[in-house]
Amino acid sequence: MVSDVATRPRAPRAAGRTRHRRSRGVWPRVWHFLSFGAPGVLIYVCFVLVPIAVSFGYSLTNYNPFNPPTRFVGLRNYQLMLQDDAFLTSLRITTILTAIVVIVPNVLGLGIAVLLDRRGWLYNALRGVFFTPMVLSSVVISVIWTRMLQDDGPVNQVLRALGVQDPPGWLSDPDIALYSLATVLCWQMLGFCVVIYLAGLSGVPKELMEAAAIDGAGPVRRFWRVTWPMLAPALTVNTVVLLISAFKIFDHVQVMTQGGPGTGSTATIAFLAIQTAFVDNHQGYASAEAVAMLVVIAALTAVSLAVLRRREIDQ
Amino acid sequence: MRDTAPPWARPLAALAVGAFFFVPLYVGVINTFKSPDQIRTDPIGAPHPFTLRNLSTLLTRPDNLYWASVTNSILVTGLSVMVLTVLSATLGHYLARSPSRWGRGLMLLLLCGLMIPPQVILAPVTYVLRAVGLMGTLPGLVLFNVGYYVPFGVFVFTGFMRSVPRDLEEAAAIDGATRGQIFWRIVFPLLRPATASVLIFLGVWIWNDFIDPLIILGPSQGTTITTGIFRSVGVWRTDYGTIFSLMFMGTIPVLVFYLFLQKHFVKGLTGGATKG
Repeated sequence: MVSDVATRPRAPRAAGRTRHRRSRGVWPRVWHFLSFGAPGVLIYVCFVLVPIAVSFGYSLTNYNPFNPPTRFVGLRNYQLMLQDDAFLTSLRITTILTAIVVIVPNVLGLGIAVLLDRRGWLYNALRGVFFTPMVLSSVVISVIWTRMLQDDGPVNQVLRALGVQDPPGWLSDPDIALYSLATVLCWQMLGFCVVIYLAGLSGVPKELMEAAAIDGAGPVRRFWRVTWPMLAPALTVNTVVLLISAFKIFDHVQVMTQGGPGTGSTATIAFLAIQTAFVDNHQGYASAEAVAMLVVIAALTAVSLAVLRRREIDQ
Repeated sequence: MRDTAPPWARPLAALAVGAFFFVPLYVGVINTFKSPDQIRTDPIGAPHPFTLRNLSTLLTRPDNLYWASVTNSILVTGLSVMVLTVLSATLGHYLARSPSRWGRGLMLLLLCGLMIPPQVILAPVTYVLRAVGLMGTLPGLVLFNVGYYVPFGVFVFTGFMRSVPRDLEEAAAIDGATRGQIFWRIVFPLLRPATASVLIFLGVWIWNDFIDPLIILGPSQGTTITTGIFRSVGVWRTDYGTIFSLMFMGTIPVLVFYLFLQKHFVKGLTGGATKG
């Protein structure tokens, strides 16, 4: 490589020149990594990659810090999981919740973004209102909504005033609590969708809309034929972000319902994994649950990204 | 929206939807200024009488709940964000300037971290922290935050690094500047918009984090704002005065931060969304 550099200095400024300037040997590159790359990589490895490997390792054991000895049990945790009602229920309710949260804020967010896509102080102020939940802590949002939805809370006060005799127990009825939880997350994520769709709408060229209008396309036709295809990247971002945030929902469950009412009516998979690990101390089994969660989330993200990206290109 | 709709239809509809959406925010703010009795019986009405008693009680509590929580939150957020900025800027620069197979592999490994839920790694993280004696301490939480959020920082910085011309760095290298000097004197100041994004997003996220401080700081080792609110709900379920004033005072800092930097916040969020 040294001779390579030695023969080159006279050469005209070719494509190869910049590429070769840096390769004066291996030590400068090692030093570059040690000084610039290594600190961040090291902490990332210690606190993310190693824990994932450890999780995977422990998922093959019966590890319980208060009940030694720890033995290797192979895939038994995974076999147990597939027959475990608590785990299967958590998977089912997490799926329902994720489906609601992916669809509702996407649809409402698009509608509201179209409504707010104008200039003026009113629309700016309203954008601020819709975006505020994005900077609030999930804990704060959960506490406020708990007060809203309690049996004697404002929601039921209004319903009673409207003449509803026996308003539902939004957080105390095992059949309803999951949907209350989904509503809260939808409310929290709505602002994000609005902002992303507004940004997408601002990228639609005015001339294109005017040309379509001159060609005789009505507002509905203009929206579906011109605007909607140009919102494809916004739809991708919203869907993937909603998918991930809904699937790993934990804070709201912990604050609002503690997994109840009843047995596990709102115990999402993230909540169950934390309970199993830190309350029941079955850390081996909890690791298997965590690994399962990671696999599902990775698969969901990969598939939805692939599908939505292809859709972007097709349009 | 029909072209034939009257001109007042859109503002009216927007206002109605906005007002409906605003109700929970209103409930959160208004109850801070009511007597605990009124919060219990009338959570949605106007304060009657208007009172600052909840706030003054919170700020003068003998157990120092607010001041201890807010100090911990400021320390954890401030330290995490500072370390994260330095480490992800340098790592991002390294990756952007190392387009080898090794650099690309490293980048991919980091990007995987963007979607890992904290619940998956928290139990093993506690073993790691216990092994180095940092379990239950603020530095332990800061270290975890740095590891967990460094992929996001790197993602933002490498994306932005593409707009920084390489020629500038090469010219400085010819003039004899060291790599550190080139980065900190020339490149880093050019990355200000990326730095702003990282500071804003990670600042808000880390301030609002709940499960990480709950597990890592543990029950005995002090609280942050979020775990403080959670524990108040658990211990004094009906002490609404404390809960609502703590939420109010704990949100003010992040809300002020947001109001000042709202434009940056939205710009950072939508930068990747529209280009796809």
